[in-house]
Amino acid sequence: MKFTTEKSTTEKYSSEEQRSSASPQTAGSQSEIDARVSAGPETAAAETAEREVRDAEVSEGAARPAPPTGSGSDTSGGQSRRLPASVLTPPPPAPSPHLDDYEKIIGQAQLDDLRFLARDLKGKSIKMVNSTAVGGGVAEMLNRLVPLLSELEVPTHWDVITGGNDFFEVTKAFHNALHGTRYELTKAAQEIFLMYNEQNRERLQFAEDLIVIHDPQPVGLIRSHDRTPANWVWRCHIDLSNPDEQVWEFLRPFVEQFDAAIFSSQSFARQLPIPQYLFYPCIDPLSEKNKDLPDAVVQRICDDFGIDRSRPIVTQVSRFDRLKDPVGVVQAYKLAKKYVDCQLVLAGGGASDDPEGAAVLQEVKDVAGNDPDIIILDLPPWCALEINAIQRASTIVVQKSLKEGFGLTVTEALWKGKPTIAGAVGGIPNQVIHKLTGVLVHSVEGCAFQIRYLLTHPDFAKRIGTAGREHVKENFLMTTNVKRWLLLFRILERAKSRRGARRP
Amino acid sequence: MRKPNKPFYFNTSEHLLRIGRQKATNLAELWQALQTCPDDSIFQHTFRTLQEHHFIRQGFSNDFAHWAISACNEPVLAEQLASVDVREYTDIEGLRRRMVGIVDEFLQQHPRSGDKTAHEPFFFCASDLVVLPTPFAPDTVSGFLEGLRKVSVHSIHHHFIEARLRLHSMTNDFSQWLEEEVGLERPAQSIERIDIYTNTMEGVRQQIANIVEQNLN
Repeated sequence: MKFTTEKSTTEKYSSEEQRSSASPQTAGSQSEIDARVSAGPETAAAETAEREVRDAEVSEGAARPAPPTGSGSDTSGGQSRRLPASVLTPPPPAPSPHLDDYEKIIGQAQLDDLRFLARDLKGKSIKMVNSTAVGGGVAEMLNRLVPLLSELEVPTHWDVITGGNDFFEVTKAFHNALHGTRYELTKAAQEIFLMYNEQNRERLQFAEDLIVIHDPQPVGLIRSHDRTPANWVWRCHIDLSNPDEQVWEFLRPFVEQFDAAIFSSQSFARQLPIPQYLFYPCIDPLSEKNKDLPDAVVQRICDDFGIDRSRPIVTQVSRFDRLKDPVGVVQAYKLAKKYVDCQLVLAGGGASDDPEGAAVLQEVKDVAGNDPDIIILDLPPWCALEINAIQRASTIVVQKSLKEGFGLTVTEALWKGKPTIAGAVGGIPNQVIHKLTGVLVHSVEGCAFQIRYLLTHPDFAKRIGTAGREHVKENFLMTTNVKRWLLLFRILERAKSRRGARRP
Repeated sequence: MRKPNKPFYFNTSEHLLRIGRQKATNLAELWQALQTCPDDSIFQHTFRTLQEHHFIRQGFSNDFAHWAISACNEPVLAEQLASVDVREYTDIEGLRRRMVGIVDEFLQQHPRSGDKTAHEPFFFCASDLVVLPTPFAPDTVSGFLEGLRKVSVHSIHHHFIEARLRLHSMTNDFSQWLEEEVGLERPAQSIERIDIYTNTMEGVRQQIANIVEQNLN
């Protein structure tokens, strides 16, 4: 990727540049690492890494914030052993797909619809602004979205705001406060936030027809709204259902100046005087994490990890984090195992660099005891392909979260047609419609029962797995995301021309 | 069968989900909001949600029914709401009245259910709609069949289900064209009888194609 520096601090790059071979191609958590090992943007490495960690929290499951330690481990029956050499170093970045590559997945008719939608927008352009170029769910999504929109002849530019550590400390605190953590909003914090927003506002140009500001960090750029004829949209990737009131009241006047806001779930939104749209987070079916795999690859990876494909496999993929309740999953497995034979695979990361993750991993190992059928994999964050293979080899996928953003690991499992058991929290019920596209549970006992039921009722398991995949195809794929952006752009343009027509 | 005077223009509609201002945390609030929410919310949670879940053969009818069972644990009400066939309505107001009536009657019979807090709130949403052309505008029945097979399921939904609201009559675009332009009266009626609640939208497409094909041969 060729990064240019605009007025020395703003990283700016276009979709065309992203097609080049060294671009931070995104493939689940793979992208973080790909981005790190390739020539990154011209920002201070420490600053970037910090921001990656912050931004990664935006999209649970899409990308993990763990740095590439490569010190993951594989635990089976309480016995640790080294991971296979193949996963110890990050693979080279995969090429970015083109629109036509999606034809075999969504069909020609859906592609035609995208092209028709884009046709009336020809000559118009979009600018996306966020706070990080690499790592994290937003950057990952933009890495795919920006080239696809441009391929549809809606040129889309992506700018990244900059700031010092003090700015990102404040925005990290805002982020947590918006998620509900108590926070004392000081005058100094407000000034830091406003100062960096003003600096970025002076540096950036807003010549496009649609300006999209992602998340709270660059929200102050809205002050340029009146200088431009563009529609301005705020894309909020975080859950605002229970924010710290001080922080929200500070940000609200900015948000209310936008022409529209976008949230990832109905329950994440606030009462605002502007239209609010629902854009579900999405997965890329062509990424390393989600692409089809030959059975031989699935078999090899299972062999590497000691997973026996001749027996039922129950899997949870997630960080070793209490909110993902890995201990509860082990308990549910143990209850189910009294009735049905199965193995449990817990595949995740985050334990190598995070003291809490390491503690949770230890708790999981303690609960697992010496059961040889419990396989615990603390994987480095670039193991998208391995995660893909494990999900595909699984008989059932579990995501027994106690709290969740959207839960993209659920989307990944559904996409692979897997009967999925998931906690009824956060954005999961948007994906898992109970007994239709998966099953929802509220307790360890409920999870254990559903494991037993799905393993002994393969026809039902197959039916919900098939419907789950269709649900993802309809609602949670990257191409649907492209469609939503095009629809929104057209709807806002239509509203703008009506406003213009009403003016004397 | 005669040569049509007018081609059949296959269009499709795409929707963007807008989050509404109203929400219900129990059945009494649902009843109230059903009466005051915008028409496009009623459309979203009935017609449109059927399109979103077009791949499910059984068990999903509309969002109100789904919420009644999944969040309120009221199977009787859920069954009654699920039994409402959107194709019996040519305007949203009639459909709204039916939904309100069902909830009203249920709450009269089960007054304690009204203020029982639901497991999760019902968020009223709505759709912003964009109608798009497709490459298919056949002026023969065989061309119609080809278009039918190649357009997206959203186009099938647009012509087969949403059409009632546009036409304000108990028919659909396919039946209307086949009857008025081609003179295929009985096939048009057969198409109208296809059950959308026990079929996926792909299944509906296949059944329409089968009916037309039988009349070609």
